[in-house]
Amino acid sequence: MGPINWHTFFFYLYALVACGFAVAVVISTSIVRMALYLIVALGATAGLFFLAGADFVGAMQLMIYVGGTLVLLIFGVMLTAQGPLVSLRTTGGDWIVAMLLAGCLAALLIPAGLTVSSWHTGHPVTTAEKDAQDVQTVLVSTTIAHGVPTAGGLPDADSNGIPDKQPITAAPLGMGLLGARVDKLGDVPEALRPGMSGYLLPFEVISVHLLVVLVGAAYLARSKRRAPNR
Amino acid sequence: MAPDASLPLLLGLAWLLPLVSFTIIVLFGPKLGKAGILASYLATGAIICSFLLSITAFGIWHFGGLGARADGDGAHSTTIAATPGDMHAAEDAKQEADAHSDGAHADAAHGGEAHGAEGHAAGGHGAGHSVPTSVPNHYTKDWYSLAEFGPLKMSISYYIDSLTVLMFSMVTLIASLIHFYAFGYMHDELHAIEDHEVVLSNGHHLHRPGRFYRFFQYLSLFCFSMLGLVIAGNILMVFVFWELVGICSYFLIGFYIERRSASNAANKAFIVNRVGDFGMIIGLMALWGSLGTFAFGDIKNAEGKVEHGIFSTVRPAEQIAGPDGVTHEPFSLRVPDGMVKSAAMDKITQEGIESTPDQVEVWRQEKYGYWLLIIAGLGIFCGCVGKSAQFPLHVWLPDAMEGPTPVSALVHSATMVAAGVYLAGRFYPVFTGEVLLIIAYIGAITLFMAATIAITAVDIKRVLAYSTVSQLGYMMLGIGLGGWAAGLFHLVTHAFFKSLLFMCSGSVIHATHTNDMRRMGGLRHKMPWTAYTMLIGVLAIYGAAIPFVIGFSGHYSKDSIIAQSLSFWQLNPRHGAILSGLAIAGSGITAFYMFRMWFMTFAGKPRDHHVYEHVHESPPVMYVPLVVLSVFAVTAGFPWLPFSVPKLLEQARYPGAVATAPLLDKVVFPEEYLSHLDPFHSQAEIMITFVALGGLALAVAFYGLRLLNPDEAKSQFAPIYRVLWNKYYFDELYAAIFIRPVMFFSKMIANFDRWFIDGLIHRLAAGVKKLSLLDDAIDRYFIDGLVNLLAAWTWSLGNSLRSLETGRLRQYVMFIVIGTVALTLLVRWSVAAGG
Amino acid sequence: MQILTQSVGVSHYLVVGAVLFISGVVCMAVKRNALGVLMGIELVLNGANVNFVAFGSKFLRSDSAYALGLDGQLISLFVIVLAAAEAAVALAITLNFYNNHSTVDVDRADELKG
Repeated sequence: MGPINWHTFFFYLYALVACGFAVAVVISTSIVRMALYLIVALGATAGLFFLAGADFVGAMQLMIYVGGTLVLLIFGVMLTAQGPLVSLRTTGGDWIVAMLLAGCLAALLIPAGLTVSSWHTGHPVTTAEKDAQDVQTVLVSTTIAHGVPTAGGLPDADSNGIPDKQPITAAPLGMGLLGARVDKLGDVPEALRPGMSGYLLPFEVISVHLLVVLVGAAYLARSKRRAPNR
Repeated sequence: MAPDASLPLLLGLAWLLPLVSFTIIVLFGPKLGKAGILASYLATGAIICSFLLSITAFGIWHFGGLGARADGDGAHSTTIAATPGDMHAAEDAKQEADAHSDGAHADAAHGGEAHGAEGHAAGGHGAGHSVPTSVPNHYTKDWYSLAEFGPLKMSISYYIDSLTVLMFSMVTLIASLIHFYAFGYMHDELHAIEDHEVVLSNGHHLHRPGRFYRFFQYLSLFCFSMLGLVIAGNILMVFVFWELVGICSYFLIGFYIERRSASNAANKAFIVNRVGDFGMIIGLMALWGSLGTFAFGDIKNAEGKVEHGIFSTVRPAEQIAGPDGVTHEPFSLRVPDGMVKSAAMDKITQEGIESTPDQVEVWRQEKYGYWLLIIAGLGIFCGCVGKSAQFPLHVWLPDAMEGPTPVSALVHSATMVAAGVYLAGRFYPVFTGEVLLIIAYIGAITLFMAATIAITAVDIKRVLAYSTVSQLGYMMLGIGLGGWAAGLFHLVTHAFFKSLLFMCSGSVIHATHTNDMRRMGGLRHKMPWTAYTMLIGVLAIYGAAIPFVIGFSGHYSKDSIIAQSLSFWQLNPRHGAILSGLAIAGSGITAFYMFRMWFMTFAGKPRDHHVYEHVHESPPVMYVPLVVLSVFAVTAGFPWLPFSVPKLLEQARYPGAVATAPLLDKVVFPEEYLSHLDPFHSQAEIMITFVALGGLALAVAFYGLRLLNPDEAKSQFAPIYRVLWNKYYFDELYAAIFIRPVMFFSKMIANFDRWFIDGLIHRLAAGVKKLSLLDDAIDRYFIDGLVNLLAAWTWSLGNSLRSLETGRLRQYVMFIVIGTVALTLLVRWSVAAGG
Repeated sequence: MQILTQSVGVSHYLVVGAVLFISGVVCMAVKRNALGVLMGIELVLNGANVNFVAFGSKFLRSDSAYALGLDGQLISLFVIVLAAAEAAVALAITLNFYNNHSTVDVDRADELKG
């Protein structure tokens, strides 16, 4: 046996936690416990994100999803968990149907995920790619258009294919949201680069969308004046 | 204006004026005056104007000397000075006549004066003393052409000769008097009437408004039709007006339409006439098909070419030499080319022989086409049989007495029934000898049969009706024996005295309100005008006269017929014996029944006091026409008048020898002028006088002086009496032969129609109804059911789909998942299959 | 233990994502509590996020040229944002429902039953 791929180890750790607690959410009967299990599952998912190299997304998962959305959910749980509503049981028939459905979905999805052979293993990073990865660490400058900066490259990747240096994605993500895809500068022939759009529009749309949601939620959840009885 | 323009104008106007009156009354009848009384003024005025126009035409004819023929023959009529019955002159005339009959052909060379010097002193009756040798003066022309089919023409045309003028004057005179008479007679119709002879289903008598104006409307139409018939210039026009007169007679007989007897009588008259007209149409077809013309006389057409009429085709004017040395004398009867060719048609087609004139002459000698000529003549005569009520179509005339008396006087004595005789006279040149003999026999049978029936009749109008039939038989006999002028002379005199007799009887009926002579008697005390004018009429028909001196009109005319029959007897022993015997016997019987009638009505003691008390004389408007007519009844026959009837008739006589009868051997017809001479003329006078006296004596004995009892005679001759009383059972015979089979057949057909055809229709209708019910059921259960089923399915589908909408969130989620899974599978498999 | 020496590829992430997805679906289908359904929704969205991130990573596949790169991460960011927004609205609805019906049992929310 070779040296333990700690990436793999942590992956499996986080994966098992996430899956297990997700299943626990399903199985659990108490709404409060479900909420707690969900928080743990989503936290493990954040760890998975980190392991996949999406550090910013993982961070956002923790901050917004776990720390925001789920807290909101907990609020809801707290507000409504009164007596008999805490644990509402489902009939067995529904369980069977649901399990059947789950089985079908599983039979569909899991083999689908395993079809492509190039997805079974990770990717050993070569020197050239390491250099290319350094691009991600460089801020936008006028000389970036073509060249590959020769600033100190990544340390050699060892055979497990994981770079020693954690790639930084926050800034490129932010630039991408503003419309400049700095991560693809060296990838695409020059002619196609103008067609390579950023995510500025979706960004703005999302902003408006959030505003709408805010207003809507506020309206929906307002306290209603009771009409006086005549 | 020249006569050829003035005469058609005058007579044409006289013809059309009654039509104008008819039209106005038809359109405005009820509005003319109070209850339509102005209609009578209008009609009477119209006919009086027609009479004046006719008299003017008569005057123009007579005083213009228009009777003169082309070669001066007609000039005789104006210079006659001989006294009638001049024996001495008659002998001379006989010699002359013999000479003339031999040289008749050569007459064409006579000058007018030479002729006049010889013949007229020996004029006998002043009528023709020889066979004329030129066409009578006539005016004929087309007024309006209706249709032309190549050479065949149908047109409205006139043919005016002295006969036309005479007839016009007579008809319009009698019609005018009858209009006056009718004004009085039909006075009841001015207000509402209760008709006692009509019993309604509720038992009451009929109450109806008056129809005064309608009577005059029909009278006007009748006058128009009769005058049109007289003036007609072609046989088709005659036929049209023939029918018109028939329909007027129908209207007038059936004037009291609510009476079953009257409407039956009208039907009978029209239908029996129609039977005769059927023969007439056959005659017309024969003429049309073979001669190609209907016109009587020759007409110059627009291009100046002369189109030959029937007369000149049948009796050509020139002397024609035949192939075997046989010559056709001018104006003698000859089968026309057209008829010969028609008859020889099969010979032409079979043997392909061409019809050259010589060939045609050969065929004519072989008697081709002769039968066609006979048929033409017989056909036309058949119409006369129907119209003039000859045997066997006489049955309608007695029943026609259902009409009001003015109708009987005008239509059924003087004019319409005379139309048949008139046509026989007009068409005389075309009749062959066989046809003439048949005419004579029918006339003789008719006259004898009708006279015998009249002996037993008790209805005053029936007596007169049978008398009319009998006298018409006389006329036909006269014409048939070759006495053309005699028959037409009797026509004219008969018109006067018969209408007089009818009007008198109408006066009696109007006064007594009954037709039955058994309830009359002794009326002369209360109705002197009527009685004595009727006596004059009776004397006229009896033929009263001082022999060889002077007589009533009927004497002269009947005399000439008897004379002709004696002349015929001399040449034809067997036929002549029968015919003359019947004629002479008939005159005796006539005398008997006419005086019987007069005695029963006016003489003796009144038999019904109720009737006698209510009798009164007719108003002047009724008896003045009687007086006028009686004057004519007396004077119409006088031969010495410059415009006497015989003279006028001679002016219209068609030239040419009398017809021969080649198919009947030994039948010879004498020329008419021979009958005016001795011995026939005087023999006839004496015979008539004695026979008529005998009849008069019998009548006086039975009914006048009551020496003998008529009832005893009745019972003694009971079988004969029964036969005569039942009119020789003619009505029953016709009913059995014709009416019963037709009724049987029609009942059969009616039943067939009702049970089978109607049944078929009913069953068809029932079937259709069932089909419609079936259709309804199909529609309701099947089609509606289908629609309802679809709707139900839709509803149940919707209902079942409704169960998807449970409102349960989790179920929706499951469906989403199921859908997603299915979609994915679908995509994957399609990609797998396609890729 | 052999398994721990091999590197992890996209497939592993996909399986995890599938499991999360399936449990989220089952949770949505089974839970009677509205908030439980919401949790199921969160799980579903997270399963999708895992997939996106997995596809976006260069290291998890043997042919890194085909990775989505930052696109995957960007999309998962959007998903997170949308999930938050949707959770907020859903909660508002649930609370409204709770205020009106005094229950969060989704089986009671069948007034749209046809």
